[in-house]
Amino acid sequence: MIYLVLALAVCFVLGGLAVASNPSPYYGVVGLVLASVAGCGWLVSLGASFVALVLFMVYLGGMLVVFVYSVSLAAEPFPEGWVGQGVVGYVVGLILVMVVGIVVGDFVGSWKFGVDTVDGVGLLSVRLDFGGVAVFYSWGVGMFLMAGWGLLLALFVVLELVRGLSRGAIRAV
Amino acid sequence: MPSMHLSFYSTFALSSLGLAFHRTHLISALLCLESMMLSLYIALTIWPVENQSTSFTTAPILMLSFSACEAGTGLAMLVASSRTHGSDHLHNFNLLQC
Repeated sequence: MIYLVLALAVCFVLGGLAVASNPSPYYGVVGLVLASVAGCGWLVSLGASFVALVLFMVYLGGMLVVFVYSVSLAAEPFPEGWVGQGVVGYVVGLILVMVVGIVVGDFVGSWKFGVDTVDGVGLLSVRLDFGGVAVFYSWGVGMFLMAGWGLLLALFVVLELVRGLSRGAIRAV
Repeated sequence: MPSMHLSFYSTFALSSLGLAFHRTHLISALLCLESMMLSLYIALTIWPVENQSTSFTTAPILMLSFSACEAGTGLAMLVASSRTHGSDHLHNFNLLQC
């Protein structure tokens, strides 16, 4: 059971590796889904269940869905596979970079681990992450309103970016 | 370095390398940006859990909302380039060519 967190952390890194070395955007999305599922499981096993649910619903269920149909807009109809030309070279090269980074940065002895969980100081009436995010509505209401304003602004930015026919900046048609 | 931090550090480094080496499609670069944001989210969540400090849990939520803005903007540029050039291949882009 103690190795569950280690296995989820390794799956997280494998998902990141799959995104970085993807032969086609379809496989990049697969890697990103794997990384976010592993990250969500990691957060749940630490006890931070609210932020794990936020990750699942907002990131995986919102942003990644939008990415999936943008990939279907943009990717080619006959994609390369993992055993294609040069992909294995990218994977091996990225793993090599990671290993060199671990060795040079002297992180080799760092796989001894004791993970501190959310209930580490005892059970509270409101859990750590629930109570923390609730700060958004009381003391952090300025941050909340700034984030909402930023999201509204992003909506208008997107409207202006995709405007075409010489009224916009990017499109020529 | 604390043990589990190595995994999201290396995910961030791998994704930024994938962003630097983006080859054919613009959306591969956007996917690498998204995995960088994911590793930052995990890092920002693990930090208050390890330090048992409650109010820093607002940081990952805030970061996620701004990351949604950035993803929307990147996808808008993808749609604009796909409508202009017919695909999102990076060798088609000519706005910054001299």
